[in-house]
Amino acid sequence: MQQILLAFCMILLTVVTYFVMTRIYKRYSYPYLTPVLTATAFIIMILLVFHIPYKSYMIGGQWISSLLGPSVVALAYPLYKQRHFIINHLFTILGGVLVGTISGMVSVGLLAKIFGINHTLILSIIPKSLTTPVAIEVARGLGGNASMAIVGVMIAGIFGVIAAPTIFKLMRIHSPIGRGIALGSTSHAIGTSKAAEYSELTFSMSSVTMALCAIIGSFIGPIVVWLFQI
Amino acid sequence: MKILIIFLQIFILYIFSFIGTVIHNFFHLVIPGSIIALILLFICLCLKIVPVKWIENGAGFLLSILMLFFIPTTVGIMNYPSLLSFQGALLVLAVLLSTIISIAIAGKVGQFFEKKAQKRKDDKECSKFSSHSA
Repeated sequence: MQQILLAFCMILLTVVTYFVMTRIYKRYSYPYLTPVLTATAFIIMILLVFHIPYKSYMIGGQWISSLLGPSVVALAYPLYKQRHFIINHLFTILGGVLVGTISGMVSVGLLAKIFGINHTLILSIIPKSLTTPVAIEVARGLGGNASMAIVGVMIAGIFGVIAAPTIFKLMRIHSPIGRGIALGSTSHAIGTSKAAEYSELTFSMSSVTMALCAIIGSFIGPIVVWLFQI
Repeated sequence: MKILIIFLQIFILYIFSFIGTVIHNFFHLVIPGSIIALILLFICLCLKIVPVKWIENGAGFLLSILMLFFIPTTVGIMNYPSLLSFQGALLVLAVLLSTIISIAIAGKVGQFFEKKAQKRKDDKECSKFSSHSA
């Protein structure tokens, strides 16, 4: 009985915190106020203050996590809606997605290896440029840690959005399609919301790239790990 | 009524996700079960086996609050205080550098491909035009 009550309280805590943080983010749209970040920080604080271990929190939390699977499947819907757009730009999108995914995974893997970071951690941050629900699954499949994978994903997303305008200027990337591919393939959902600020075409390109990167990334991840002996 | 529809449609997505996991376990694939299910659903939508109407509300709803679902997993970093150590700092640095590299490469290559595709299209139109005039 007490367990059910605890589970219910934890679910309530998570949901309420999420909606409050979303409100705040809508009012002040800074990338570092992303609800995941602020809500996570707040919940960790509450758990630490009341001495609730993560294991007890997850009695409730696992119910929320269990919706991750269906949400990944739900990505098929926007992909289906934009199928004509994909077919029209097939060559550009596929090329961009492949190059973006490979360059992201290889570069982070090699850098982490050079820095001497431990093996499990490296495997966790390999899928950092994929959208979070997929990155969690890919990291688990590779033998990494899901929580660490999310940390990598969040850093890549938030920093990517902050750094992208400068990089675009320095590298003279002006085309809406190039920008969309860059944002979608490195900064996933956070990048896609930034892409909406540029133009409609950049936004569609970014969201399609994000979804395709998730699919292609889950194939390429194991290959990159195997090829570079990470 | 709308809540019920959303609920039922999420259930359909659940079934797909379950089938994906079963396939994943049965063939011992490295690709996550949910990605297999995503591809499966996409194919079913394209072949009209599953009408879009069956999933659009549920999928739209799930995707609109997607961020909520990974908060419990993110909270798990509280078990890794080592993230605030030197190793943690190196890890962050690796991700930052890699992000800069891949934005530059993906953007440049995307732009290059776009120009190439544009040129091919122009050439095609040109040849069409010339064959017309001939």
